[in-house]
Amino acid sequence: MSTNLRVTRRQVLAGSAVSAAALASGFPAPAIANSDPIPVGYLPALTGPSSSTGVGINRGIQLAVQEINAAGGIGGRQLELITRDTQSDPTKAVNGAAELTHGQKVSVVFGPVNSGESLAVVPLLARANTPQIHPCWVDTLTDPKKYPMCFRNAPTNQQIGGAAHRYVVEVLKRKKVAVISDTTGYGTASVNAYVPMLKATGAEVVYQGNVDAANPDLKPELLRMQSAGAEAIMPWSVNAGFLSRIINTRGQMGWDVPIVGQTTLGSGQTKALLEKPEYWAKVYPNNFRPVCYAAGGKLSDRTSAFVDRLKSAKIDMGDTLLWWIALGYDSPRMIAEAMKNVGTEPEQIVGYLNKLKEFPGVYGDIAFTADKHDGYPDNEVVMVEANSLKDGAFNLAPGYGA
Amino acid sequence: MVESIVSTGLAVGCIYALIAITYNVMFSASRVFSFTAGTLGMIGGVLGSLFIARMGMPVAAGFLLALAGGAVLGIVTEIVAVRPVLKSLDQHLYVLSTLALALMIQQFTAIEWSTEPQPFPRLFDIASGFDQKFWLPMLACAAVIVGLELLYRRTLVGHAFLAIAEDNFAARALGLPERSLRMASFALAGAIGALAGFAGGEMLLAFFANAPMLTFYGFVPVALGGMGNNRGAVVAGLLLGLFQQAANFLVGGIFASVAVFTVFIIVLLARPEGLAGATLQRRV
Repeated sequence: MSTNLRVTRRQVLAGSAVSAAALASGFPAPAIANSDPIPVGYLPALTGPSSSTGVGINRGIQLAVQEINAAGGIGGRQLELITRDTQSDPTKAVNGAAELTHGQKVSVVFGPVNSGESLAVVPLLARANTPQIHPCWVDTLTDPKKYPMCFRNAPTNQQIGGAAHRYVVEVLKRKKVAVISDTTGYGTASVNAYVPMLKATGAEVVYQGNVDAANPDLKPELLRMQSAGAEAIMPWSVNAGFLSRIINTRGQMGWDVPIVGQTTLGSGQTKALLEKPEYWAKVYPNNFRPVCYAAGGKLSDRTSAFVDRLKSAKIDMGDTLLWWIALGYDSPRMIAEAMKNVGTEPEQIVGYLNKLKEFPGVYGDIAFTADKHDGYPDNEVVMVEANSLKDGAFNLAPGYGA
Repeated sequence: MVESIVSTGLAVGCIYALIAITYNVMFSASRVFSFTAGTLGMIGGVLGSLFIARMGMPVAAGFLLALAGGAVLGIVTEIVAVRPVLKSLDQHLYVLSTLALALMIQQFTAIEWSTEPQPFPRLFDIASGFDQKFWLPMLACAAVIVGLELLYRRTLVGHAFLAIAEDNFAARALGLPERSLRMASFALAGAIGALAGFAGGEMLLAFFANAPMLTFYGFVPVALGGMGNNRGAVVAGLLLGLFQQAANFLVGGIFASVAVFTVFIIVLLARPEGLAGATLQRRV
């Protein structure tokens, strides 16, 4: 008895249609056992003039990747962090990003960690269709329409300024404000952005100025502020020399006015340049509530547990800031969670992040939507007491309550 | 206000004057304007902070070592950036070579020292109404003026320096060791530049980015006071410091710099040879 194995044209067409339908509906491909490491690109500035942030973030990143891999990785695959030091140089950051995407074929990139480098890298990664997570503050560094694969797990400059303004106007109840910056791009852009924001909160900007950071004597500027009736000084600069001169001059004048502004006000470099330690009182830089000491000098339970892990891993916190380490620690964990849930393809990762709801980070709970790629919550950006720095963290500034 | 203008203005003016003298001492020996002058000033502050604050040396030892470091860099300037271009002075290649060396030193300092300003130690543990950060640059400037006057007028080496500055061909014909004297001049200039940075350290801090600022503002008294004229440079430096500080008070912010350079351009338009410079006579 013979069997008829003839295949008709109708059967072929029907089979093809079923296959096409299965593909179009996203029918999962058959699972192939894969134990290859998952390459994750990482663009920190570990050397060069802007490396202090990158060095701090790197400690958290390395710890997180070790923990993820020790716990079995992503479905049995290890995360492989492919690091390219940008050396604080946008050109090297661009070269690193190009190599990570085209040469190393990474699934996702974390960084760069400085805005100047990110401004150069974000459009490049967008063209390469590579998901990117960065912690840079410049407002234009996320745009779901222009850069649909780029996410920010840190605050924007608007949030930073907004928190400082709320503290001055609502908590300290100061209505007459002096806004000063150096003449760098960051400084002038900050003054231009923040003065209208301040006015919108009901404050009166009685002094507004950009001053050369190399100017050795800022007394004329502070006298001008004082005679204008300023009740608070808001400096926007990352130059520790410039900021310390403002603080020192205020101290020499015996002027009891709060200084509220940029995080560098609370840095060790600024502290080292103060003529007297007591001049650091009533100086309130930006920081982030989850990594600050609340009333009674206690960290939150989540942050305390994290600090314990840092101590057991012998990671130094004394020469850096806790929020940098926490931010670094959260970033690969967020990437790993996305990969565990949806796999390592770029579109899948972006699709997952677009619906991320309150990822529980040490640095803060991060949430994104398809229209909003700035994930850090407004109310976690706070002000702290500069002279309370201990183990990389600060006390919340007076007025925030428990 | 007047007190602040006078104290800060004179102190900063003295630092500018010392940098201008650094330019002039190098110029006199080589007819080259070496743009490493401000870098030598910056190095004085950085070395002072390194030796005294970071390494814990006594102030006197740190001071002498900082000056020695400046002198060595002065000699390096002569060997690396000046000597190779002396034969083609008319092409002004020294602008490029000295600027390149200044940038190299500045970047090296940024990498090895810090890109952030570092504290400069208080040199004397004394409390007085007039702070040491103001009178130290004034004292340094006065000491340099007196020292150079004595050197040039009372010593044989000083006369040899003047002979080289006046006519180096004639000086060589008389048997003076022109190259050695030039190197000695650059070492002296390096030490004066380092003294400017050291004396002004409490005011300017130990910061690599002081180099371009000092190079720039230190050149203004040279142009205003007349090339190679130390007395003119000192007067112009003091006037610059006072005017700059007055402008800080009166107009403030970035407009102070605009005011300074507006006056600078007006003076040069009115007197291109400088306030104290003599018009060059060309022999025919």
